[in-house]
Amino acid sequence: MKQNKITIVFTIGIIVLILSVIVSITYGAKAVGLSDIIDGIFGRNTDSFNANVVAARIPRTIFGLIAGASLSIAGVLMQSITRNPIADPSILGVNTGASLFIVIGIAFFNIQSKIAYMGIAFVGALITALFVYNLASLGNGGATPIKLAISGAAVSNALTSLISIFVMPDSSVMTTFRFWQIGSIGGTTNTDILLLLPFTIAAIVISLMLSNNLDTMLLSEETAKALGLNIGLTRGIAAICGVILCSTTTALAGPISFIGLMIPHLIRAIVGSNHKILILSSGIYGGAILIISDVLGRILGRPGELESGIMTALIGAPVFIYLIRKAKLQSL
Amino acid sequence: MIDNSKIFANIKSHRIKYKIILTIMAIILLILVCLNMTIGEKNYSLMEVIHTLLSSENNYIIVKLRLPRTLAGIFCGIAFAIAGNTFQTLLGNSLASPDIIGVSSGSTVAAVFCILFLNLNRGLVSFVAVLAGAASALLIYKLASKDGYSTNRLILTGIGAQAFFSALINWMIKKASEYDVPTAMRWMSGNLNGITTDTLPLLIVIVLLALITMTYLSNSLQALELGENYATVLGVNVDVTRSLLILISVVLIAFATAISGPISSIAFLSGPIAGRLCSKNQINTIPAALTGAILVLAGDFIGQNLLPTRYPVGIITGILGAPYLVYLLIKQNKGGSI
Amino acid sequence: MKDNILIANDIVAGYGDNTIIDGINLKIPPHKISVILGSNGSGKSTMLKTFCRLLTPQSGSIVLNDKSLQEMKNKDIAKSIGLLPQNSVAPEGITVAELVTRGRFPYRKFMCSLTAEDYTAVKEAMEAMKICDLADRSIDELSGGQRQRVFIALALAQQTDILFLDEPTTFLDIAYQIEILDLLKELNRKKKTTIVMVLHDINLSSKYADYIFAMKNGKLIKEGSPSDIITSQTIEEIYGLKSVVITDPVSCSPMIIPISSHDDLTNVS
Repeated sequence: MKQNKITIVFTIGIIVLILSVIVSITYGAKAVGLSDIIDGIFGRNTDSFNANVVAARIPRTIFGLIAGASLSIAGVLMQSITRNPIADPSILGVNTGASLFIVIGIAFFNIQSKIAYMGIAFVGALITALFVYNLASLGNGGATPIKLAISGAAVSNALTSLISIFVMPDSSVMTTFRFWQIGSIGGTTNTDILLLLPFTIAAIVISLMLSNNLDTMLLSEETAKALGLNIGLTRGIAAICGVILCSTTTALAGPISFIGLMIPHLIRAIVGSNHKILILSSGIYGGAILIISDVLGRILGRPGELESGIMTALIGAPVFIYLIRKAKLQSL
Repeated sequence: MIDNSKIFANIKSHRIKYKIILTIMAIILLILVCLNMTIGEKNYSLMEVIHTLLSSENNYIIVKLRLPRTLAGIFCGIAFAIAGNTFQTLLGNSLASPDIIGVSSGSTVAAVFCILFLNLNRGLVSFVAVLAGAASALLIYKLASKDGYSTNRLILTGIGAQAFFSALINWMIKKASEYDVPTAMRWMSGNLNGITTDTLPLLIVIVLLALITMTYLSNSLQALELGENYATVLGVNVDVTRSLLILISVVLIAFATAISGPISSIAFLSGPIAGRLCSKNQINTIPAALTGAILVLAGDFIGQNLLPTRYPVGIITGILGAPYLVYLLIKQNKGGSI
Repeated sequence: MKDNILIANDIVAGYGDNTIIDGINLKIPPHKISVILGSNGSGKSTMLKTFCRLLTPQSGSIVLNDKSLQEMKNKDIAKSIGLLPQNSVAPEGITVAELVTRGRFPYRKFMCSLTAEDYTAVKEAMEAMKICDLADRSIDELSGGQRQRVFIALALAQQTDILFLDEPTTFLDIAYQIEILDLLKELNRKKKTTIVMVLHDINLSSKYADYIFAMKNGKLIKEGSPSDIITSQTIEEIYGLKSVVITDPVSCSPMIIPISSHDDLTNVS
């Protein structure tokens, strides 16, 4: 029965993913036909305008897939290691931390290369995530959802004012930053994907290897210890994977929030807490949802487009509120 | 038999300390008013300023620029401060101020929309912002109360709402024409530039009315601070009082936001600072109001005169507020009061 | 001193669609200590909440001296009925004296500072609970027993003739339990305050109560003096527990000894 369910989840996920990829490539300000797509993919008939349109949409779609998968898997990892149902890169303040560091990079070090963006975002994200988590762990009961959410929100607030200090005096910084700040997968290129891919793949593979350990971690800390699990090490590696996944994505696409919160929740409700399945299926659905958000953004934002970061927040924030509403009072 | 005076010695000395602190705050505020009126691009002596104001002489800088700027600073400061203080007291948590739980950004969404897309004047913007603020407060409250109201759930729901509203704001800023964006960004960071005299009377009347009502309700608010049960048993009409207090706070926040933009940290900082200076044993509406006014005027003075670039006041107060926010969080988490 | 008569008329109450109390009629005996006993979920706390207006009854009414509470002004009721709720929260950093002073709310007028009467009432309340030496301490640094006494003092500062207490001894160790109950008994004897409590401990109830209400499944099944109620038959009826009742050698009140399924009953007559 359970096995059946999992197969169904995977099958539906892959179908949705394929459909969303097709829609993402065909739909847009300019509609194209199937033959154009094939031309575009195989680089034939490169003078055709439609094929060029397709060629431009392909990296965007692939990047969306990777970004969505990375963010959802980062969400799974963070929720498991903090044992906290609302842990998510955006709640933990990772986005704002990365933003602050990137702004400093733009304003003072004149960073331009994508790899510099990624490195600096990783450092900012890691520091912020650690800071928020430690802040929330002070006092009784460890990092409860309410403490985590408030700490994240407060630190984000604080960092946001720092960001404005750097952005405000210099209008060129403001312009560069403004476009980065609204998460978008629109401007990405094949080079970006090649740059991102090694990190993403490594982090996902390591997470999958850790999945048995993560399953054990879901039991109480004492039980996990009694079963012989090195908790500190597991948590540390998983945290680094999580931060790599979300910070690299954030560096290239800007802050995209709530994907890491929504997807793992929906998936967990259906397939349970087996991490191997959870990570894989969250990846599939996360990719699909981000691509769909991007397409929706193109539809709703006409004649321009609405960035996927805005779309995911508009969809994700209500889901977050719904989860809070559904949660038992004591568990908050 | 124990002597009365012994038990209450401290309570009575608090009352004296309270009056002294209020006096000191008033003096600081007065000094800041003088500074803001005299110093700037062009400096005037205090006598010149007083003379100009009394003689209804038409000095553009003093009458049309600095006077409205200073008045707006004082009254927006008071509005943010007492609204924040009321929310914090009512919800029993310093972090539950309207700028953290999404009520302020509800107003901001409406105001940004009006400014960027409808080109409304500030009076109308205020009106729309009040409605939107009230609506978002009501929505957040309704969403947070399922089988009973819980402050924790309210704060979390507020954080969710905040995220939603900021996405809307980002979207609008992205959609706006290039030309309007710096204006909107500056407005959004809280700013006293370009405030004209015509919007001020309404703000002042509203703030004064709110101050009187809040003072009148401060005993009830004290009872509410002990929790809903105690308040009921002590004879407070909980629902009416609470709704009234929230409504007044939202109106204050929305009006001030429409005029000056969301000057960050004032709503959140003033109450705790006032509590620390006076005593946590009472409702510090008046000290919080003075603190708010002082913070805004001081922030504006620093932002205008003391730094290499001119910064809007909201940025300065935001920077001042950030470390305090983190400090408060550390203290609260350690104390286990969340 | 006038008798304040508090009566429950055919009360039906509960939360949402869930009815917990189903038609209760009772009269609180004035100037006495009454205890409401009952198993978990029998509706005793709900009954207490209804008396204190924390819960509006779905039907029926609470009547104080021939007047329904619904027709009375909030502050007037607050001058007659006080409560120690199960969970009390105090604003952070508040001192004991200030907290007790908040009990004067129903007597205070707009913009007036505390009057001489306010100070006297607060002092008397603090004396009765023996917390005068704690006056300037912050509430956060008190022990559980001290905290509870402070909150009872808050209710006493309200100067009501009737005082309800919802499990005042829960989470306290036995010495503090006796301390609190002794203070309450003293209050009742000296000031003739009518006291109504929900207690879990049957033996303590029997020791301190003048009158006991026994509840089960939202109904009042029996009421009377401890010697009428604390019988092995009634205890079995309320809790479904077999027990032996003996006489407390010190206070001469009835005392129950629960019977476990492992006990050897051959020696019991």
